[in-house]
Amino acid sequence: MLGNIFSSLFKLSFLLTVLRMATPILFASIAAFVTASAGVANIAVESIMTFGALAGILGSYATGNVWAGVAIGLVVGAGTALLIAFFSMRLGADPILIGIALNTFADSLSIFFLYLATGEKGTSASLLTPTLGSVDIPGIKSIPVLGEILSGQYILTYVCWFLLIVLFIMIYKTPLGMRMRACGLNADAAKTAGINVGRIRVFSLVLSGLFAALGGMYLSLNSIHLFSKGMVSGLGWMGIAANGIANGSYGMLLLSALLFAVFRGISIVFSQSAVFPVDLVRAVPYFAVFFFLTISSIISYLRIKSGKVEEQ
Amino acid sequence: MAETILKLDKVTKVYPNGTVANRDINMEFEKGEIHSIVGENGAGKSTLMKMIFGIEAPSSGTITYKGQETHFASSMDAIKAGIGMVHQHFMLIPSFSIVDNIILGDEPKNGIFIDRKEAIRKTQEVSDKYNFELDVTAKVSTLSVAKRQKVEILKTLYREAELIILDEPTSVLTPQETEQLFVQLRSLQAQGHTILFISHKLEEVKKISDRISVIRNGVSKGTYRNDELTMEQLTNLIIGRDLENDLDEFKTNEDFHNEKALIVENLSMERNGKPALNNVSFAVKKGEILGIAGVEGNGQVDLVRCITGLEKIKYDGKIIINNTDTTGMNIKARRDLKMAYIPEDRMGDGTAGKLPISDNIISTYYTRDDVNSGMFMDSKAIDKISDDLIKTFAVKTSSNKTAVGSLSGGNIQKVVVAREYNTKPTFMIAEQPTHGIDIGSAEFVHHKLIEMRNAGAGILLVSADLNEVIDLSDRVIVMFDGEIAGYFPDANDINESNLGMYMLGAKKQTAEEIGGALND
Repeated sequence: MLGNIFSSLFKLSFLLTVLRMATPILFASIAAFVTASAGVANIAVESIMTFGALAGILGSYATGNVWAGVAIGLVVGAGTALLIAFFSMRLGADPILIGIALNTFADSLSIFFLYLATGEKGTSASLLTPTLGSVDIPGIKSIPVLGEILSGQYILTYVCWFLLIVLFIMIYKTPLGMRMRACGLNADAAKTAGINVGRIRVFSLVLSGLFAALGGMYLSLNSIHLFSKGMVSGLGWMGIAANGIANGSYGMLLLSALLFAVFRGISIVFSQSAVFPVDLVRAVPYFAVFFFLTISSIISYLRIKSGKVEEQ
Repeated sequence: MAETILKLDKVTKVYPNGTVANRDINMEFEKGEIHSIVGENGAGKSTLMKMIFGIEAPSSGTITYKGQETHFASSMDAIKAGIGMVHQHFMLIPSFSIVDNIILGDEPKNGIFIDRKEAIRKTQEVSDKYNFELDVTAKVSTLSVAKRQKVEILKTLYREAELIILDEPTSVLTPQETEQLFVQLRSLQAQGHTILFISHKLEEVKKISDRISVIRNGVSKGTYRNDELTMEQLTNLIIGRDLENDLDEFKTNEDFHNEKALIVENLSMERNGKPALNNVSFAVKKGEILGIAGVEGNGQVDLVRCITGLEKIKYDGKIIINNTDTTGMNIKARRDLKMAYIPEDRMGDGTAGKLPISDNIISTYYTRDDVNSGMFMDSKAIDKISDDLIKTFAVKTSSNKTAVGSLSGGNIQKVVVAREYNTKPTFMIAEQPTHGIDIGSAEFVHHKLIEMRNAGAGILLVSADLNEVIDLSDRVIVMFDGEIAGYFPDANDINESNLGMYMLGAKKQTAEEIGGALND
């Protein structure tokens, strides 16, 4: 029995599961990364994902067009990010506290709107909404193994891959990205170089809001075609954890996000098998987050101690 | 008459809370001159610079740059107009390369991308033009302080600055590095740049300037040609009275029978896997000031942390305070041996900025019977102690309930010194005791240290300010790379440039000579 489970971890289907799991975590990770690199902490990724997921569904339902729904989800994501920017930069509140506030009331607020729209408090299953499909890429599709990986994914997965590349180029190869990193590393230096630090940070927050909203909509518009209460279930936090482990390195960010996706995949395989208690198995990804965060902070502590890097 | 590049006409700055930082300042700067602006801390130098550089707007008056009245909305406008500023605290990003630091905010582009080749070429070209001898692809974190400063100057030149403002540029440099900076500044001057040099080190101002402007209490005390001004006149203009400059006059020499307040024997320790202190031995006698000179980062901080117990570090060797071996003792136990400590970081380690003076002024002895009845603090006694000390130490404040953080640097330091003085120590560590404070307050602190010395306290003075070490100390040791590189039994016959050689590691004495630090 256990042997079966383990052998299933080495099948192509497991890789595909991991890829499916990875997309929302990758969205969450770049959402956390893009603000952190400009020197603001956006810990509201989780709640923006929730808002985005719901807004996408309700928007699609209201307009009857899934792309209009996506647009509405993006507007809500960017709007929430602007709210954070307004409270933290204009009114001087601590962005962490704003994040906590948003995260605390995200679930209740989304249920409130869900109830207004559907009269139900659990899911949006009663709404018949158009959904985003997957894309088959002719040619590539027929290549064995690779075809199954590269073709037939959800549209938002391709969007995610595309954004990963665009973001990398933007942050490391363009003046804008260099200014963003400068704001994150030494805001005073950026300011004296004539950079409008506030504007850059607002921009990074908006990007973060867009990424997080896409992550949320991946959950609601793609995989299961509905919004359900608590559906983000910590994916946003995994993105923040991945960003924490990455410590400014884009490669590490993607690696950590994929690692978390692998553990989510494992937990799904195990929970289907009923060998271990399901609740315990579901906790595996969160244990993984805890474990890798601990390891990464020990490593960075040792690096500072051994004098390899300057303490920030 | 040379061409005027910058003219200030009745420039006044009043902050919203009513503080007048500058009043009716009239100054003219000529193209191609090195013009120093001197004044005590809080005299209004920085505010004036901020207005010239567009960081703040004047409340009234006009600033005319190159014949045109300017109203810079931000420093960006000033930079565009050809004004550059090198800030006292470097505005650099250590993990970026020199190039990236320099082009930041004004990047050469190739389509939407940064044109890195062009950036490197242009930066290297400017660097070579002014003989900076920098490899512009190097990371800033690998550079020495002096080189980082060069990068800052290069940054202004890259933006084609004609007028360069340098804010306390020598405060982080050794005498030799300062010499080099001056050579560099003269060469900039020769190429037509105008230099605005802000400093409180008067020797340097006298050395480098063509003309000098003095600010006192926000008011201009005039601009003078350097050669028509003596050092005494300059000092007088700055503080409004004559400075008693020979501190030795105030020293009395009672015999304390060669008793030792501090003995450090064979002290060695490692930090980050590298030796930070190597076999350091010396003693501080009662009734003397032992000065430690050295460039920052050569083990002084580690030494002080070992002696005070401020940081729990493993070390080899012995530290004996007032005849008691302190091995394993915490800070409180060491303070109970009548040790006092004036820390370098007066805001971080020295005071709690948001708390009132009265709390800060007893914070190292709040358990003492006279302020603490066991259960409650005796607020009446605390008020009395605070008021007395505020008076004795001439702390400028309206009440003892003022938050320490809202005082000026000099007054905060007076609160720290007053507190430590009031513990009646027999051994005191004074770490950079006058760093960044005005001449008046510094003079006051020096007198208090001498007063304690005369009363029999042994004082260990750690300072990056060579003049301070030489003027105040009885004996001097020089630290380089975690070791004692030189020992000078009489501070009166020290030659500053000779001392500099030891500070930079160019010279080192024999073990026997250095042994005098412990045994004399």
